[in-house]
Amino acid sequence: MKKIMTLLFLFSSIISYAQMKAEDVKTFTLENGMKFLVVEDFSIPNANMYLFYKVGSRNEYQGITGLSHFFEHMMFNGAKKYGPKVFDQVMEFNGGANNAYTTQDLTVYTNWFPASSAEIIFDLEGDRISSLSIDPKMVESERGVVLSERRTGLENSPWRNIIESVNASAFKEHPYHWSVIGYEDDMKNWTQKDLELYFKMYYAPNNCVVVVSGAMKFERVKALAKKYLGSIPAQAAPPKIHIKEPKQTGERRITVQKDVANPYLVIGYHTPEAKHEDFYALSILNSILSSGQSSRLYSSLVDKKQLSTAVFTSYRENFDPTLFYFYTSANKDVNEVDIENAIYEELDKIKVNGITEKELQKIKNQKLMEFYGQIETINGKSNNLGTYELFFGDYKKMFEAPENFNKISIEDVQKVAKKYFKKSNRTVGVLKTNVED
Amino acid sequence: MKGLKKILVFICILATTFTSINAQNYTLPEYTNFKLNNGLTVYLMEQHDVPLISVSAIIPAGAIYDGDKSGLAQLTAAALKHGTQNYSKAKIDETLDFIGASVNASASKEFAGLSSKFAAKDKSNVMTIIKELLIHPIFDENEFSKEKSRLLTELERQKESPSSVIRTYFDELLYGEHVYSNSLTGTIATVEKITIDDVKNFYTNNYIPNNAAISIVGDFNSNEMKKIVTTLFSSWEKGNSSSTNLVSKPIKKPTSEKVLLINKEDAKETTFYIGAPGVARNNKDIVAIQVVNTLFGGRFTSMLNAELRTNSGLTYGARSHFTNYKNGGAFYISTFTANKTTEQTIDLTLEVLNRLHTNGLDEKLLTSAKNYVKGQFPPRYETIGQLSYFLTEMFWYNFDESFINDFEKNVDGLTLEKAKKIIGTYFPKDKYQFVLIGKASEIEKIANKYGTVKRFNIKD
Repeated sequence: MKKIMTLLFLFSSIISYAQMKAEDVKTFTLENGMKFLVVEDFSIPNANMYLFYKVGSRNEYQGITGLSHFFEHMMFNGAKKYGPKVFDQVMEFNGGANNAYTTQDLTVYTNWFPASSAEIIFDLEGDRISSLSIDPKMVESERGVVLSERRTGLENSPWRNIIESVNASAFKEHPYHWSVIGYEDDMKNWTQKDLELYFKMYYAPNNCVVVVSGAMKFERVKALAKKYLGSIPAQAAPPKIHIKEPKQTGERRITVQKDVANPYLVIGYHTPEAKHEDFYALSILNSILSSGQSSRLYSSLVDKKQLSTAVFTSYRENFDPTLFYFYTSANKDVNEVDIENAIYEELDKIKVNGITEKELQKIKNQKLMEFYGQIETINGKSNNLGTYELFFGDYKKMFEAPENFNKISIEDVQKVAKKYFKKSNRTVGVLKTNVED
Repeated sequence: MKGLKKILVFICILATTFTSINAQNYTLPEYTNFKLNNGLTVYLMEQHDVPLISVSAIIPAGAIYDGDKSGLAQLTAAALKHGTQNYSKAKIDETLDFIGASVNASASKEFAGLSSKFAAKDKSNVMTIIKELLIHPIFDENEFSKEKSRLLTELERQKESPSSVIRTYFDELLYGEHVYSNSLTGTIATVEKITIDDVKNFYTNNYIPNNAAISIVGDFNSNEMKKIVTTLFSSWEKGNSSSTNLVSKPIKKPTSEKVLLINKEDAKETTFYIGAPGVARNNKDIVAIQVVNTLFGGRFTSMLNAELRTNSGLTYGARSHFTNYKNGGAFYISTFTANKTTEQTIDLTLEVLNRLHTNGLDEKLLTSAKNYVKGQFPPRYETIGQLSYFLTEMFWYNFDESFINDFEKNVDGLTLEKAKKIIGTYFPKDKYQFVLIGKASEIEKIANKYGTVKRFNIKD
């Protein structure tokens, strides 16, 4: 890949991104609808392959909650050519490693391998996408694995517990109501038939975007894709998710009992999906609040008032309207109500007075450094290109993001703060030991 | 980005039935190093792919020097950012945040480390701040007391998560009287006693340039950077390295099976380690050990994970690890399982370890592990941050670029016969050391099976 050095001018509104441009991404779509994004990068002799399937816990319903994630596991448990356990054995024998993750919206499979082993990786993927075999014996042992995954998550982090409760209260109808891992009783009762239907409905080439980055020529990727994935038939598009979460009309509060030293607090405000025009302003607001020790919430809650030991906020890409989260863990002998009020106080300041020009510039500078971080590795490139292609509808939006952030004004940030940070729009969750007082 | 220069070499292994993956020989990119008059070792490596710079510093100020003030090294490293002669804490935070730069300082068992990443155009600004933190910290009392109070709360909170505390228990059990047993985070009892004067003394005694190194990797001109570093860091005063070499004291080997049972009343699962003494970082067999550990418990299809996860569904994951320090190290297996499958899982773990000794490996497995570690090697040195850290590691553990340059050769040189010796020499057969964190009322009887039990409460 051609790399051009450009100096950065801190206060210039046009920032050039030196090392990677939209033109460096080449694409093709197989006849069956499977779309590929390819980045040639010979800086290390390795390559990767990220497969983004448009299926997540959002596509489930009560009775099969957690199935998307379980399916992610089952994709490693045997197909026609490469039987149970063989997928991983063959991949590792050829110097490759893999993983996968499931979110509310997506299931993503990630393969990392020496470029010289690329052909076998395409063969492995082609085999499991075209002819997965769901072995009932593997279903049972894998059920134990995901139950252990759920248990160890809850055992080691109270956050998981309280976040699940906040989501369940904030989303009463939309499938973001349940967690990606699922309900324990659903997990114990998924059937063979559920899995087979799921595979047929969602694991179609036309429901998948593939990103390949690394030491491979575009033509080679294309040839391997045609050879191993080209003959897999397309399928009818999966059913649309028609449920829209009704507007929240009053504050919701939820308390969870767990034996902890000090309380945990999670607050979620309904905010829009990634494609919404307010996305960039909200994303900047997210950084203003909690990125770095000079951020609004850290300096107030942790440093000055010493109410919390840590505070984070998050606002992430989703297909459907989502939540803007506040997470904080209480300092010793602090009442969580005081922390909650301190957060509202900071939000009110932004709603009333806005943010400063310097603050806004700080976040724009940070976004630029973030961008560099995201494309520093071949894995970062694949993951981020896929994220933009899926959530924003076009991978080119990744390259436009810095410009889109630069367009945001002080007024835009204040406007979204006023629009979304309303009492009636929030769900407040507290996890603590004593819930009887 | 350009992490490693690549020369493609195709090796045909005709002698064995199982093909080795095409080997790719890498060499560490060129770098220069020099010493300042005060003894500070400096490494410079130019990498011009992206307009960024990464800095790593390594200082002999780890938790092994804590004495009875466990947690002191960690607190001292954190306190470097509490303000300097020329910069208040607020000014440091604002300056770095504004340009999207990161500067982090923390302690590990043997050393303290500083790592930083910033845009190349900000180099004089950030390098000056790094110099201030390392040479002119003022250790503001008010900031220290806030940091300490947060740490105390966090220490209490950690007890809610078995995976966060199990390593500390294990190190205490395995290393006993040796300084490697010192807890990095400290305990509530030890941290409560630490004062600002302790921190100042710890800094004066241990933050000395003559046993430290700083490496800078990224988009700069080496001659210019050499001048910058020389100007900034030459005023760092040489100190006396501590007269006794704490780590060189022998580590007493366990003479019998021991079990630490940590009761967590609300536990739904048992989190456990099974371990034994390991090896130092400069062990001549370190690469071979890594290859064998890969197939025993270092990857998804490893013997451990295949048995405990894939075949039986007892756990989400099981791994084995070697941690290596200057003068010793540890081997341990880590996993977790539901309360009621605790005994079955521990028995199976021991059986798999036993199988490694009795059945050994075959040619196909060994080839697979060799291909895997070679194939996964280049991404470990892909970024400027990874490269700058590697240079400081090289300094600390006294090895050189041949670790990278000869890595493939060393991996390829591992024969079945040698692998057998590696297993016999470095993988334990008996006198296992156990840490079990779980619901004692349900697992105490099981614990008794494996050795002499000492029981504690996680809240103690």
